Amino acid sequence: MNANIMNRSELIYHTIAIISLVIVIILLWNFTSDGSYVEGKINSDVITEETVSTIYGQLYRMIPTFCGVILFSIVISFYLEEWLQQTSWQYQIIERHIAILARVPSLVVGILAVYFIFFHFQNITYYGLLLTVVLLVMPVTIQSTQKSIQTVDISVREAAYALGATRWRVVTDHVFPHTFSKILAVICTAISRILAIAAFLVASVWIYGSNSFSFPKSVILLITGALIVSVLSSLLD
Amino acid sequence: MQPVIEISDLKVFYEDAQALNGISLDVYPNEILGIIGPAQSGKTTLLKVINRTLEFTQGTSIEGTVKLDGIDINSISDVYGLRRRIGMVLPLPVGLPLSIYDNVAFAPRTAGLRNKTDLDEIVERCLQQAALWDEVKDRLDSLGTKLSGGQQQRLTIARALSHQPEILCLDEFSIAVDPITTMRIEDVLKTLKEEMTILLVTNLVQQAKRLANRTAFMLNGDLIEIDETDVIFSENPTNQSTYDYVNGTFG
Ligand SMILES: Nc1ncnc2c1ncn2[C@@H]1O[C@H](COP(=O)(O)OP(=O)(O)OP(=O)(O)O)[C@@H](O)[C@H]1O
Ligand SMILES: [Mg+2]
Repeated sequence: MNANIMNRSELIYHTIAIISLVIVIILLWNFTSDGSYVEGKINSDVITEETVSTIYGQLYRMIPTFCGVILFSIVISFYLEEWLQQTSWQYQIIERHIAILARVPSLVVGILAVYFIFFHFQNITYYGLLLTVVLLVMPVTIQSTQKSIQTVDISVREAAYALGATRWRVVTDHVFPHTFSKILAVICTAISRILAIAAFLVASVWIYGSNSFSFPKSVILLITGALIVSVLSSLLD
Repeated sequence: MQPVIEISDLKVFYEDAQALNGISLDVYPNEILGIIGPAQSGKTTLLKVINRTLEFTQGTSIEGTVKLDGIDINSISDVYGLRRRIGMVLPLPVGLPLSIYDNVAFAPRTAGLRNKTDLDEIVERCLQQAALWDEVKDRLDSLGTKLSGGQQQRLTIARALSHQPEILCLDEFSIAVDPITTMRIEDVLKTLKEEMTILLVTNLVQQAKRLANRTAFMLNGDLIEIDETDVIFSENPTNQSTYDYVNGTFG
């Protein structure tokens, strides 16, 4: 392939990635630049122990959704690695955006979540939480699943294809079993991130509630859970 | 005689280099065609073009035509069916992460065979042909990847035979196999050519001399010479470098 063409497409992908980032920053700026906007929304009186249990209720109801997000990320990784041509522009664009999102510190996502969920929407909504978890879990999950798929030796694939296996058979019979324990580790990491963000949300509520009620012990439980699952994840990897 | 494989002016480019520089050769039914040549000469690449697995290497392009039974392989829409007509044994044994039994039964199952007795029969026949049956018949359910290197290599041979291919491609199959077992497999190959056509890529020139009806000598992506094995190994092949390579005075 011509080196010039490669460079040109690289440039295009970078430009698209940067433009999308700028759009996100402008949107954020519009929402937040007016400090009074935030201040006006903070109403510590409405934040009570009740709020905490609302959050837990919502998180609880969303467990199937969270599982869906994790599963969807894994499916996307397989699609990217096994079905899409690595040299195609679709692959390149998705890859680049995922790479950027995966590098965003989770604390940034957490703070944004607190802002949107409590100040902007004034409620712990389904979509607010979904967006948070998507941003927090999907890029990292996709990236690590992709990496584990890439560790499957090309010769395994070639051997299976040489026997006349279809793409689907190769993935289900060979690539998936090869990556299974790594994928379990990835799932654990995702779960640990979700537990951590839950702890962060509840703790923030307590802080914004100006300590009007006693510190929810459940936060400690969530953090412990997140830590244990992380350890489990590193054992599986 | 109608050739099984007709290759004309085949060129293969990897992302950064050309691996085959326009190769033309015919392979006839029920012959063993030996393919010899030093490292990097494009032997493996040639085999991968024939069963269309080179498509999985990113950034390759292929020019020229390869016909199988007179039909251009690129015009065959059922590429999976095409690959099943060709048995491929790769240089390093690739154990699929399956049991010994499932490794061999994989291709027949893929082709839709479900009957247990038929599968048992195929598994036994192929393992016999690959000279592996006696060693593994009591542990068909253990993982193929737990066999020794040489055993895994023979497992891949059994696997390649399991779909009763018309063409069997062997890429340096004896690299990890001891001499005695190699001899046993060579004997099997001699009988197998009654049923199929065999392409034998080998680094052991003596192996080509023992088995091949015709031998092709490749060098740096060129086909230097293809002729009756007797001629290639005689005192006067057409090309001097063939003589040098065969007699070990190359380079
Ligand atoms: N996946 C790949 N990507 C880039 N170049 C490759 C790839 N595979 C092979 N090549 C190049 O193609 C040329 C031919 O390689 P090939 O593997 O066909 O040679 P070979 O004759 O089988 O060698 P050997 O005897 O070492 O197996 C070499 O120059 C090699 O560097
Ligand atoms: Mg080779």
